[in-house]
Amino acid sequence: MSNSHLFMKSGFPRAPLQNGLGRYVCQLQRITLKFCKNNGSSKGMRDFIENHLVDFAKENPGIVVYVKPRRHRTPVLVGEYLNGDREWMSCRNSTEADITKWVDLLKTQNGSSSSLRLRKMWHTDVPSIQGPWTPFLLRAPETHGQAYPSVDASKPLDAPQTATEKLIELFRQQQLETEDVLSQKRAE
Amino acid sequence: MSFFRCVAGVLVLARPLNSVRTVEARRHIKRWVAPTLRELAHRQQKQGPQKPEPRAGFVEWNYRSELFAFGKRLGENFELPLLQEAFTQRSYAHQEEEKQRKLGIEEVDLKIADNQQLAKKGAHIARAYVEAFLKQSLPKVPKEGQDAIASYLLSTETLAHVSSHLGTKDLIFTTEYPPSPESLAESLQAVIGALADSSGVERAFLFVRDFICTQLNQKDLLDLWTPKQPLQLLDEICQQRKLGEVEPRLLGDCGKNTVLAAYQVGIYANRQLLGKGFGEDVPTATETAALDALQSLFDIHDNRRPFDFGLQVETKNVRLG
Repeated sequence: MSNSHLFMKSGFPRAPLQNGLGRYVCQLQRITLKFCKNNGSSKGMRDFIENHLVDFAKENPGIVVYVKPRRHRTPVLVGEYLNGDREWMSCRNSTEADITKWVDLLKTQNGSSSSLRLRKMWHTDVPSIQGPWTPFLLRAPETHGQAYPSVDASKPLDAPQTATEKLIELFRQQQLETEDVLSQKRAE
Repeated sequence: MSFFRCVAGVLVLARPLNSVRTVEARRHIKRWVAPTLRELAHRQQKQGPQKPEPRAGFVEWNYRSELFAFGKRLGENFELPLLQEAFTQRSYAHQEEEKQRKLGIEEVDLKIADNQQLAKKGAHIARAYVEAFLKQSLPKVPKEGQDAIASYLLSTETLAHVSSHLGTKDLIFTTEYPPSPESLAESLQAVIGALADSSGVERAFLFVRDFICTQLNQKDLLDLWTPKQPLQLLDEICQQRKLGEVEPRLLGDCGKNTVLAAYQVGIYANRQLLGKGFGEDVPTATETAALDALQSLFDIHDNRRPFDFGLQVETKNVRLG
């Protein structure tokens, strides 16, 4: 398995400039279609330009579209985003449908998503709503007036009963029982 | 000499005839590639890091389309000449005039318009609207605090951040590239001014709300404004609102006389707990507690209701002066 993704730029899914809070701004600012006029590998790009490009430009007046014919070179899509990112994409032998989908992808993302490693699939500026825990949080009321050092408060809460303590308890119980029996007899 | 040349020519021509015709071994490895690339890399390294190329210098660049798309992207209708004026910095205009003078063109009526007027107008509109917005969404915060938050929103850094994320970087005419934060901020203000001139001041207000006021989202307002003497301020506020005398009380402490001492102080007024705070000694804890109390009194604590950015501030409440 390759670990090349470890060296990619990393980040969190974030909307730039609080996009969408006030109004939505399409983050793709310009797109350049480079193609060859007679090479076969540009066939899909030429079809896209012929059939869909004018509609695309009409639907998205906020995106500047540049078309750049060049001889005997691979067709290429270059998207430039408002955050300064530039995404280069080879469309060699792509069909018209492929290119429509890629253009749609460029239009809907806010940077080159394939060159960003997401550290987590979510992000929050406020990790804890309750706030951090402190030793003063949810304290029992009786501990407020406690004077330290104190023998009672120093005992561990989960200390098991010792054998001596158990014997003493058994002895006390026995005494109570004999007292009970005696008092019953007296009553009779 | 000429005789020698002739003989050499004949020899060169004759060589292929002399050599035995075999299948010529073609060298597929181009041995010049690696050294050339190495030399180019070496020269590039020697030159040091290069400045970024301005986008306007590329072949595929049409300034008119870019200006048009800038307006459409933000959902606004700008008058293009005004927008172009908004993107012309004073330094650039001066430079162009200097160039013309050097060429011998000295005509007063051919002055290049710069964005000083528009920036002034836009800054005025932005300040007026941001103040009105803060007054409406943070009604309990005193004037001093609202001013501090407004000055954060209208600071050069915030405006430059907003401006660069709206794509003004490539459109600005300046003498330097990339444009400085000051010119980014100034051109954003000028864009607001141009919008007010193109489609009315109401659209400009909405622009300020949607792009500048939204920068307050998820911000800790205490970072933007921290009162200098919180206990005194709390005292004043409590007297104003008739909440009673302010009384700090020790709620708890731990690790007294150690390096890790911690004190918790609560602030009471009229037997009501207003706020709690921690500190490594009692005065610090009191100060923190006073800040906490102020936060809840001014309604700027961490878990407050988020800002409503769909808020419509009435135009009559915006004091344009």
